[in-house]
Amino acid sequence: MTPDLNHYIVLSAVLFALGFLGVLVRKNTLVIYMCLELMLVASTLALVAFSRFNDTMDGNVFVFFILTVAAAEVAVGLAIIVALFRKRQTVQVGELNQLRD
Amino acid sequence: MDPTTLQGIAATNQWSAIGPELVLGCLALALLGLELVLPKRQHDLIPAFAILGLAGVLLAVLAGFHTVADAAEPPVLFGGLLQPDRFGQIMRVFFLLTGILVSVLGVVALAKQRVPRTEFFHLVLVITAALMLLVQSHHFVMLFVALETVTVGFYILVSYTRTNARSLEAGLKYLIMGSLSSGLLLFGIVLLYGAAGSPALPAHSATPMGFDELHAFLAANPGNFLSAVGIVLVLAGVAFKIGAVPFQIWIPDVYQGAPTPVTAFLAVGSKAAGFALLLKLAAVFAPYAPLVTAVLGVMAAATILFGNLAALGQTNVKRLIGLSGVSHAGYLLIGVIAALHGQPFAPGAVVFYLFGYLLASFAVFGVMTHVAGPDDADQPLSAYTGLGRSHPFLATVLAVGLGSLAGIPPLAGFMGKLLIFVAAFQARLYGLLAVAVVGVVISIYYYFGWIQAAFFQDPLCPATDEGRPARTPVGLVAGIVLGFLVAGSLLLGFYPGPALADLLGLR
Repeated sequence: MTPDLNHYIVLSAVLFALGFLGVLVRKNTLVIYMCLELMLVASTLALVAFSRFNDTMDGNVFVFFILTVAAAEVAVGLAIIVALFRKRQTVQVGELNQLRD
Repeated sequence: MDPTTLQGIAATNQWSAIGPELVLGCLALALLGLELVLPKRQHDLIPAFAILGLAGVLLAVLAGFHTVADAAEPPVLFGGLLQPDRFGQIMRVFFLLTGILVSVLGVVALAKQRVPRTEFFHLVLVITAALMLLVQSHHFVMLFVALETVTVGFYILVSYTRTNARSLEAGLKYLIMGSLSSGLLLFGIVLLYGAAGSPALPAHSATPMGFDELHAFLAANPGNFLSAVGIVLVLAGVAFKIGAVPFQIWIPDVYQGAPTPVTAFLAVGSKAAGFALLLKLAAVFAPYAPLVTAVLGVMAAATILFGNLAALGQTNVKRLIGLSGVSHAGYLLIGVIAALHGQPFAPGAVVFYLFGYLLASFAVFGVMTHVAGPDDADQPLSAYTGLGRSHPFLATVLAVGLGSLAGIPPLAGFMGKLLIFVAAFQARLYGLLAVAVVGVVISIYYYFGWIQAAFFQDPLCPATDEGRPARTPVGLVAGIVLGFLVAGSLLLGFYPGPALADLLGLR
């Protein structure tokens, strides 16, 4: 059986849902960050599949932009996480509760 | 692709059209160079350089305003990526003003911190340029890249005082929430792209990311499931940026932890960008108006009620202003819905409201910057007691700003609310209008609680007075800027005519 467009879309939707749920449920900042990357990768997979099956080129090009943006986001994000860890010695979301009224 | 097509696309690359953004980008790099070249005691010149550069670009944009804005048919440039039109020009002016004001507040606030200075102004310039490109985008790739440039810049700015654990915590929360919203937005874009490129459907396009092509596709395919999901996801992604319920959870924490100038930038710049996008996207998604109206309508009502009720119990002014900002997003959403219903002057009303909000917010944030101590996140309402007696100028600015936010006539905020409510009335949005009026009444309570603390409350006892950080004296430039904001709020309230004439001819 050769996979058709629907298989790719379902796979990417599942990956996206996993990432989204992971962001909501997981407590470790680094794991949350991985889940966020998973959401971006799911979008990328759907883009490439649409691009291939619909025979439009925009999607393939957009993937490069997404990769670049994701790299920039990771660079800044990990820097913030490291700086926070040096200050607080924790990356657990539950213990980051200094901001309150 | 044959050479003539490529030549046709290359001919639309009019670099002069994005001249202001290019100048800002170069200026941002020049600032970093200046820091290396200038001797240490002249580093104070760098912010002045940034502010003067922004002001110069603002003057240039204003000088060329009418040649772009009055074009009968707005040109589509860079192979469909950008469309500079009247709306884009107005928002460019808006973001340049925001950039200047944030830089002025940044000078005052950074003087109290032991952090590097230059990078702050560098980032403000980069974000301003990206915001200006964002509101002119005509293609989803352009929209996404510009929006991400803004968002990543904000991650850094929010956690800028990296010796302060609360600033870092706010940065992390903004990072997670911002990335989440970007993920939603991106997946929505991908679904729309997939639907509009599908060869089986009528009016499909080879370049489905362009706004025109997508609009044509949506008009030909009402009720396409994939497109509907995509539209909802895109709207959710933008709703995060404007802080509409249920995507407002990050607002109080991030607003509190971020340095005050950055909070102002988030409150005004980021929110205005979200609404500019919503107005643009509302036109693109017009064939799905019932769906968009339903989503935004529920959001608007919940946002107004939640923002106002949650702000009632706040004792930290940064959280209070954040939550009140949530409710302002609700009023603005009503304007967007009225625009969806085809009210011709609703987009102009939204833009006018944004300008009034800019003037009032920066007046309040300007006072907050002067009252704050070295720990920016710690700004209790009690720090404002007796401000009217000790600093009459700051207290007056605060009163005008808060009054305008509350919508007291004859200030600019009142005119903005009035225009939006009239638009909503003509669009027959009676339910939303009722919710908005209730929200305004509630908001008067907490805004006046703050004014009352500044004018009519004496410091409870000398002990609390001593524990309070010293208020920064108002410098010449900051004083002129604050005076300008007050004058602007009064002027837009008393004589809205000229501004309205320009804005209401928007579409």
